[in-house]
Amino acid sequence: MSFAKRLAAREFVVLAEMHTPKGVNITRLVNDARRIKGRVDAVVIPDMDNGIMRMSSLAGGVLMQQQGVEPIIHLYCRDRNRLALQGDILAAHVMGIQNLLVTHSEPMDQSDHREAREVYDLDELALVQAIDGLTRGVDLGGFELDGAPAFTTGCTIGSYADEAALDNELTAARAKIEAGARFIIAPAVFDLAGFKSFMEKASALAVPIIPTVFLIKSLAIAQYIAASEPEAGISDELIRRIRKSSDRELEGIKIAGEMLVGVRELAQGVMLQTLGWEHKLPDILDAASM
Amino acid sequence: MITAERKPLDEILSYIKPFKRILLLGCNECVTVCAAGGRKEVGVLASGIQMSMLKNGASIEIREHTLERQCDPEYVEELVPIIDSADAVLSMACGCGVQQLATRFKDKPVFPAVNTKFMGGSDRHGVWTERCQGCGDCLLGVTGGICPIAKCAKQLMNGPCGGSVSGVCEIGDEVECAWHLIWERLKALGLTDQYLEIMPAKDWRAGGGSGPRKIVREDLAE
Repeated sequence: MSFAKRLAAREFVVLAEMHTPKGVNITRLVNDARRIKGRVDAVVIPDMDNGIMRMSSLAGGVLMQQQGVEPIIHLYCRDRNRLALQGDILAAHVMGIQNLLVTHSEPMDQSDHREAREVYDLDELALVQAIDGLTRGVDLGGFELDGAPAFTTGCTIGSYADEAALDNELTAARAKIEAGARFIIAPAVFDLAGFKSFMEKASALAVPIIPTVFLIKSLAIAQYIAASEPEAGISDELIRRIRKSSDRELEGIKIAGEMLVGVRELAQGVMLQTLGWEHKLPDILDAASM
Repeated sequence: MITAERKPLDEILSYIKPFKRILLLGCNECVTVCAAGGRKEVGVLASGIQMSMLKNGASIEIREHTLERQCDPEYVEELVPIIDSADAVLSMACGCGVQQLATRFKDKPVFPAVNTKFMGGSDRHGVWTERCQGCGDCLLGVTGGICPIAKCAKQLMNGPCGGSVSGVCEIGDEVECAWHLIWERLKALGLTDQYLEIMPAKDWRAGGGSGPRKIVREDLAE
């Protein structure tokens, strides 16, 4: 069953994020995709996430298609103007990609091409509107298309520092849903009680909400997130657990597995995020008995 | 200078419609020089608003005032004794001035009466053209004093594109090709070797790519 059909049928969806290579060596990406084929419903392909120049998400999506894995490709506004975005969106449809995720993009000064110019011809809401327009056969210039694409479009809720920031995120998400977004990828969950209270607010958006489960690869990463994003919910207890573990890598996988099981009771899906450790995705799924 | 043009009257009226008392505020700097928002333009706009109101059977109280510089907190302080005599402020300064007012008087609605256009200079009486985009990394020293960022439609860094014909840009008859101008100028200065130097892809960071820019002069900052 396709990702869109599972969403429509209110089935739990399992997504995994996989990055394209910085270069043309696709061996790892293809191998990682093969390893989880049949175990996830779709693979999410970022497009130069965090401003790191990589092979585009469009090509990554096509590679997934070739492996028989359904892709969801990232789109955002930092690097492309409205012509380039619309052109890529039409290309995506023609290449068989059926799912788009409009995401926030990191500022260029945090990228690996800091001297580059940001575009932001459109913002995220305008991009969702543009996709909706294209699916109705009209581009942003008001011109009729010779054949309209079809997509299931999603948007994201960014990490939030407090309740006021969450309210802002929910307001922005609501506008994107009104513009045509059909699912939401939510921030990483490290605290199920906190996620439950998030869902009490976010479920009012009335579209499937898919939280992220992030693989904690080391004690240092856990400490970094706890210090820089206290609102993410990494507790002292969780840090102690990782510190005391004789196999911290394995502990991270176990924690991700537990989060996956936990969110299954609370949301309509999960997106696994391993940031370069995509080869560990099967282990996380094993840890969750999925 | 920063250039501006007055907004259409209907748009201005739509901003001030809910208010009965308006402080119409001009600026004695750039917008005076480009005849968009100085003392004279304040008077003309006030008359236009009053006439429009009368035509529609409505009334409004307009207090006219012009500051020496609306972008400078020192001058904006002058408004403290009179700000509460108005329900809203209609500023004829550039966007810098409007924001200075909005920051200083947090409870007072502030609306722009002009569209801020560009940093430019006067070609002849009544004509202003763009000269600078504030890229933060001035190239004029190697381009004969003519800016390819502000004056080339494609912001090319290494000579003209194929759309330049007889010194005219492909975007329109009235636009001179910046790189034609640069070449002619370097020729006149005997500096054509500079033209042959290949310029690398521009570093746009100084142009404010990742957020608003700020200058802090430690020797002056309090």
